[in-house]
Order: sequence, then structure tokens, then C-alpha cells
Amino acid sequence: MQLFHNLSIDFMGKRKFFYVLSSTLFIVGMLNIVFRGLQFGIDFKGGTEIVVKFEDPIKVADLRENLKSTGLGEVEIKTFGDNTGALVRTELQALPESIFPKVQKKIEEDIVSSFPALNGAFHSAKTNNSITYTFANPDTASAVANKLFLDGFQSGKANEEVTNTQVVVQVGISDWIKENLKDKVKGNYFQILREERVGPKVGNELKQDTIIAIALSLIVILIYLAFRYKFIFAFGAVLALFHDVLITLGLYAILYNVIPGINLEINLTVVAAFLTLIGYSINDTVIVFDRVRETLKVHKTEKLGTLINLAINKTLSRTVLTGGTTLMSIFVLLLLGGEVLRAFAFTMFFGIIIGTYSSVFVASAIVLDYANKYHKTVEF
Amino acid sequence: MKELRFRFILIIAFIAISVYLLYPTYKDYENSKQIANSLKAERSLLKKNNPGISADKLDNMLQAMSDSIKLSNPSIREYRLKRIKLGLDLQGGMRVVLEVNTLKLLEKLANNPDDVFRNVVASAGKEAAMSNESVVDIVGRKFQEKGIRLSRYYGTIRQDDAEILKNLKKQTEEAVTRAQEIIRNRVDQYGVSEPSIQLQGERRIIVELPGVAKEEEARQLLQGTALLEFKLLKEPQFTINVMEQIDKVLSGKSLDSTAVDSTKSIAKAGKDSTAEKKDTTKNKKLSPEEFAKEHPFFTLAMINPQSQSADAYVKGDKKEALLRMLARPEVQSILDASNAEFVFSAKPVTHQDGQGVFVLYLVNKTAELTGSVVTNATSNIDPSTSAPVVNMEMNSEGATEWARITGANVNKRCAIVLDNVVYSAPVIRNKIPGGRSQIEGSADLQEAKLLEIVLKAGALPAPVDIIEERTVGPSLGQDSINQGFNSALYGYLLVCIFMIFYYRKAGTVSAVALSLVILFIVSVLAYFKATLTLPGIAGIVLTIGMAVDANVLIFERIREELATGKTMKASIESGFAKALSAIVDSNITTFFTGIILYQFGTGPVQGFALTLMIGIGTSLLGALVITRVLLDFMLFKGYKITLG
Repeated sequence: MQLFHNLSIDFMGKRKFFYVLSSTLFIVGMLNIVFRGLQFGIDFKGGTEIVVKFEDPIKVADLRENLKSTGLGEVEIKTFGDNTGALVRTELQALPESIFPKVQKKIEEDIVSSFPALNGAFHSAKTNNSITYTFANPDTASAVANKLFLDGFQSGKANEEVTNTQVVVQVGISDWIKENLKDKVKGNYFQILREERVGPKVGNELKQDTIIAIALSLIVILIYLAFRYKFIFAFGAVLALFHDVLITLGLYAILYNVIPGINLEINLTVVAAFLTLIGYSINDTVIVFDRVRETLKVHKTEKLGTLINLAINKTLSRTVLTGGTTLMSIFVLLLLGGEVLRAFAFTMFFGIIIGTYSSVFVASAIVLDYANKYHKTVEF
Repeated sequence: MKELRFRFILIIAFIAISVYLLYPTYKDYENSKQIANSLKAERSLLKKNNPGISADKLDNMLQAMSDSIKLSNPSIREYRLKRIKLGLDLQGGMRVVLEVNTLKLLEKLANNPDDVFRNVVASAGKEAAMSNESVVDIVGRKFQEKGIRLSRYYGTIRQDDAEILKNLKKQTEEAVTRAQEIIRNRVDQYGVSEPSIQLQGERRIIVELPGVAKEEEARQLLQGTALLEFKLLKEPQFTINVMEQIDKVLSGKSLDSTAVDSTKSIAKAGKDSTAEKKDTTKNKKLSPEEFAKEHPFFTLAMINPQSQSADAYVKGDKKEALLRMLARPEVQSILDASNAEFVFSAKPVTHQDGQGVFVLYLVNKTAELTGSVVTNATSNIDPSTSAPVVNMEMNSEGATEWARITGANVNKRCAIVLDNVVYSAPVIRNKIPGGRSQIEGSADLQEAKLLEIVLKAGALPAPVDIIEERTVGPSLGQDSINQGFNSALYGYLLVCIFMIFYYRKAGTVSAVALSLVILFIVSVLAYFKATLTLPGIAGIVLTIGMAVDANVLIFERIREELATGKTMKASIESGFAKALSAIVDSNITTFFTGIILYQFGTGPVQGFALTLMIGIGTSLLGALVITRVLLDFMLFKGYKITLG
């Protein structure tokens, strides 16, 4: 079987049309980025995130209602995977001052209800994420620590010395959310699947690193291609890469919250997908360029446009086949890879389609126009 | 043909090595399945016997059981060490990024902090929170802006700013090393299997604790301040006395958990029991079982009768049983009466039967001095004896106290205890008046260096902040493994079916090559002891799709050559030759992005970059070598090659 046998399509002749198409995609994407914005995940924004899995199906709307009174301000809640999973996220790093007394009251109520004799017989000291209670004797301390732990508080003895009379209760933000979930969603037990806390500094650094990584890979590609081919080829290829990355990014803004089940947030894995996309797309472009170079060597007198057409036609079946097999495996990943990899697979899936399109219709067209405009003759 | 045979042998050798590298992973998988099954049985048994048990407690018990199975069997342990490591996102666990709080450290280091100082530090703190500049530099700059010389707060009046800054930087660097050592020590004590503790950048420490999902414990583990103490060792005769009392109390009443533990250790104790006894004379005739029953303490803690000291030796896996014995109230009351406590050495002193042997010391319960008096410590080689030594300095307060203590206890031993484990127990040779002490007896410079770090740990605690914390529960990890594996399998099948359908025989050849490529990727991961993460699996899936690219390029070229009327042999020859430059150029650029991704990414993303790069390398091998050899072989044998 053979697809595209002896093709001679005039790709370069129709390049104006594809310029228009690409520009439209680009502008629509950019408008969406500007007006709808890009959603960043916890890796970049910082904050606290908990993913829980309930035993029975749960409605996210109910959870949202239930967590309104936590005093945490805006809490983001989404489904995770199927209808038993939920992702709870807040941008806060630590429990706000205002609800600390609330938490403390809850703990103390719990102590007093289990050990009525202790009412008022302990004193407490606070730090920004824990409360330390001191009791009269070590036995009480360990009994309280155990009881609180069984009731779902993150409690423990201050140290393992026999004489220890202190109990430390951690009241980090995630503990508070868990505590509330336990309280409000009665009879439907849950398990913590994942818990993350990222400081604001880390997020900022990651943003910087990401920009550096993407810029660096573009520069490296520019240098390598300029060295192996001609500068105009490198220029065309890198411009095409910008095209691929920005249009895919635009797609993120367009499709955020549109397709159910895919959480299109930009996190570390998505950045990895973008870098891989750069790798894949340049791979595709280079193969066309390699053919252009080869035909240029053979037909020195022919026009550049004709030669580029010839090269694209010759490599077209390869371009489509490889794109096809890669899309196949990425599609499987999109279907079966699970929640964690879904955004990654999505980025790659559309990225490959756009990358393949750009290496056929955009990269070489830029080379041709650049050569025409500056009346450069390209030869090897 | 000769050439072909050589290549065949090469490929077969590669396959054999891969299988060899992957065998431990396979065995480990089998082992864990077995352990899981036996634990399942154990769980239902425990549940039946203790209906009221909480799920949490049950999990803890089962975890302890599975750990002990894994530790006790050397072959299980060995396979586990050599298997492909799974990332935290696949096996569950905790990843914590800690940052040493340089600002607090600077505050502590300052000589006479006043309001001006505090203001400057506070504003530097705000700036540092959003900047990558080193905190020391920021503080230095702020002082310069105000026209204040740093010598007002740090160092001596004669030092200029640059010199002080250099010193401060060195001190903050040391604080990071110290924090790292303290954390390593605690994690070791905590007993996490395969922990990883790494430095990142200048002042960050990344701690990975596989299998740990108990945050509050881990947090305490990582953030508490270290306690360094100097404690006098009890006299040998006294120690032996106490041990015998404990032994007696335990044997008189060894009914519950201890009895179980000590009977378990019979086999090993039997071998040692004859040699180890000092005063308990009767027991020479006792069988190991009886010995264990009569002397539960000495069964676990063995004493060398020839030695002058009363240091007891405890095997690594017996430590916990011994600690449980020591925690019993009747034992505690003996220890309380003599104001004594037992402490273990931080590191094993020797190894026996593949396990570390720890030293158990009996020390005064009250510390003579705490580490806060230590102002400096340096490890060095003594020029006269060329043995490694550690020099320790104390502040004036500490020095006076130290002179008194050392004067009163010449020829006794003093243990250096950090977080309740002993790093060194040197003998006090004579009275040390000026607070300058020299500690001998380190085995090598590295050990001396460690002691230096330990001594400084008490001197200036380095506060650490948790700036990132990620926990993955075990069930999510298992789901991810299954999903990743399924994606890889179906992706592979789909691509193979397509290749065979489109290129017929040549396609079949590339499908064979693809299976080998996958085998090679996984075994290269095993060889480099690299960690497989979920994005790493995604990398493999992606490679499956992209690996046939080179094959497609070559096959398309061969078709073109065939179309010009060449023979199959000649077409294959020139097809490979002409496709080469495109294949190399395109893969090198992808490889570049892989390198950049690896440099910039952390954890899971690095795993992805790694599999991507390995995938590129192996798929080139698959297309350029394996496919070529198979095609050449088919030509040689005269089989008909079809390209669809």
C-alpha cells in the first residue's frame, strides 16, 4: 500500500492562503489568551491542593456549597478523574489569622468532650501552623494525642521522651480542609490521593525557568540549524516553532473549561509537553529541509519554489505516516493515560497536528519568501 | 556474511544484557506480589483477632511486617536494590523541598543587633522572598546603601565588607550542609527505605521519602531543631550491673511482645551466646532457646568479655526489639534509679551477616553540656601522627564548665550525642582548660568531617522552611502504573499493526525492531539506576510513536530507489545511505530539547526527559542497526522483501 504516490502539489503557490489560515488561528488564540487568560496550575501559582477520592459518587456543586463556610475565601473545587474524585485548591499557603481561633475552638471542644475533667486544665501556645497544648502529666498528654489523632486531627506528642507533657496539633491549611470535608460530607469516607503545597517563590522561579528553557531550546535549534543548513532555514524553522507553540497555547485558552474531563491548566508536565512539541516539530521541519538541500545540490538551476515543492511532495508520505503513528500512540495515552497525563497528551496531540502542518505549509514558505524578498540565492 | 554474523552476535548480546538487567525488576515484582498476598492473609487474620483495631493502626502493623520481610531476606533486598526505581508519583510518598532560612541565621550571627539592624534585615527579607539574589548579598547591599559598615555587626573592626560578606557566605553554606546532615541522620533513624536527600542550588534541600504519607511526622522529622549534648558514659562495671538487673527483670517477666521477639532471634543468638557471657556463668550449658529465655537482654545486646569497655553490640534488625524492651516500665525504673539511659551509635561500627552492628552505650541521663556552647569545630589531619582529628572550640562560659567536667572525669568517656544518637565517645585524657579540645579516634577524614558537622549542628541551629511539599498516596500511584502500562502496550500494538499493514514484510521487521527498542529503553533505565516516573512512561509511549520515524524515512527512500529501477539490494543500500543525514539531523535537534528539559525540570519531568533521550538513542539503534541487519539477512537468505 502506498499513500501519496508521485504527488506534485504546488504547496508554495498556495502559501498566501496558509499564511492567512495561520494568522487567523494565531490571532484567535492570542485574543483568547488576552481575554480569557491562561490558567496556571499549582506548580506556577503556588498554594495548597488536595485531591481526594470518595467511596461514593459526589457532586462537586455540593462540595463547593459545603466548603463555603471554611473561612478560606475562594476555594477552587473540580472533579478529578471519575465522579468520586475531587480536587480542592486554594492559593493560600497558611491558615489565615481570622480562622485560627475557629480551628483552635474545634480542637479544644474535642478534647473537652472526650475528657471532661480536663476542661480548662491545659494551656496552649500557637505558631503559624501548629498549636501546642501542655498538660499536667505525660499519660494525659499521650491519651489526648491519640484521641485527637483518631478524630482526624494531625496530632502527636511533642517528643518521645517519657516525661513529655505536650501535644502538638498541626493545623496547616490542608489539615483544615480535610477536617471540614470529614465534617460536612458525612458517611462518605475519602482517601487522600495527592497533596501538594507550593510556596509563591517556587512558582515564580518555575515561570522564569520555563521561559529560559523554551528560549534556550529555540536558540540552540537556531544555532544548530544555521550551522548545518543556512541561516534562513534556521530562521524559518524557528519562526514555525513560535507559530506552533503560540497556536497550541492559544488553544489552551480557547478550550479551557470547554471539554469536560480535561483540565487544561498549565503545569510542569504541560511545559514538558510544549518542549517535546518543539522537539517533534523541528524534527519534522528538518526532514523537509534536508530534502530541499539534497534537491538543491542536484538541480542547481531550478527555481527555489519549485525545488521546495518537490521536496515537500517527496517527503509528504513520511510526514503523514510518522505524524500518524505518533498521533496513534498519543491518542492511546489521551484515552488510557489517566487524569495526570491527560493535559500532557492533549498538548502533544494538537501540537503534533499543528507542528506537522507548519513544517509542510509554513516553515518552507518563510524560507522562500525571505529568499525572494532579499534576492538571496540559496545554494549548498 | 561474516560482517552480518558479527552484527547478529552484537544484537543478541545486547538482548542478553538487557534481559540480565531487567531480571531483578521482574523478581522484585514477583516478590512484592508474594509479600502483598501474605500480608492480605495477615490482615484478615489480624482483623478477626482484634475486631476493634483502627485501620490506621492495622496499616502501621502491616507496614512494619512488610518492612521486616523485605529487610530480613537478603535476596529480596538485593533484587530490590537492582530493580528499576519508581518515582514518587508511581509508588507514593512524599517530596519536600526545604530552604535554609539564611535571614534568621544572619540575625543569630549578628553581634549586637539593634533596631537599625532589625529594620534592614526585615526589608531584606521582603526583597529576598521574590528575588533570586543571595540573601547575604541583599543584606550587604542594604547596609551599604545606608552607609553602615558590616563590621558593626559581624566579624572584627579590622575586616572590610567584602571579607565579612565572604565569611558570612561561607557560614550560610555550612549551615546548609549541617541541615542536610541533621536531616539525613533523622531520616535514617526514622527508617524510611530508599530515601533521597539532595542539595539543590545554594540553600535548598530536597528530601524524598518513598512510601511515607504521614505528613505531620515527616514535618517534625525535618523541621525540628537539632539537640547536641555531651553526656558522660557510665563506668563499665556500673553498666554491666545495670544490664544484668535489666536482664533479670526481663527474664522474670518476659511474657508479652518481648518474648516473641527474643524467641525469633534464637537462631542467631545461639551462635554468639557461648562467647559473649561475662558473669552469667551457668548459661554455658543452656541451649540457645533457654539462653534467650533466661537472658532476653543479653540475647539482643551482646558484650565482648575481653573488652575493657561495657559497650554492647546490637544488630540492626534487633534495634527495635531492644528499644521496646527498654521502654517497659520496670526497665525504665531501673534506669531512672541510676540516672542513666541507653543510646545507640549513629552509624553501624561493623557489619555481620549483611547487617550493620550498632553500639549501645549507657550514659548519664542529664547532659553535662549542650552544644550551644560550641563555637567552632574543624576536622584536620594531625601533622605529628597523621591521624584524623577534630578540633573543637567553646565559648568562655562553656570552657569553664568543660574544664571542670574534664578535670573531674579524666580517663572516663564522654559521648557526643546529636538527636539521641552517639556520634563519638572519646576518652577524656586530661583536664581541658581553655575550651579547645582535640577529638581523636575517627577512622578517616570523612568520619572526622561528619563529626565536625555534628558538633557545629548544636553550635548554630539552621532554621529550615518547607517551601514545597507534595504527597502522592499509594493508590493513585498504583492507578498511574496501570494506566501507564496499558497506554504503552496498546500504543505499541497499534503502531505495530499499522506498520505491518502498510509496509508488509519490511513493516514486520520494523515491528520486531520496535519491541527491541522498548526492551533497550527499559534496560538502559535499569542500568543507570534511573527513576521511572509517570511522565517517563509517557516518554516511552511517545517514543513508540516516534521510533518508527527513522524506519518510515528509510522505507520511503527504498521505495523511491526501487522506482528508479534499482534492484532490492541496491535500493536498500542507497535507501539507508540517503536517509541517514535527515535521520541524524532531526534526532539531534530533538535530543537538544531533551537535554534542556532535563536541566530545567525536576522529579517527574526529568524522568520524562531521560526516557525521551534514551528513546532517541535506542530508536536510532533500532532503525539503523537492527532493521538493517534483519533486512540484509533476508536478502542473504533470498527471502522476498515486500514494502507494501
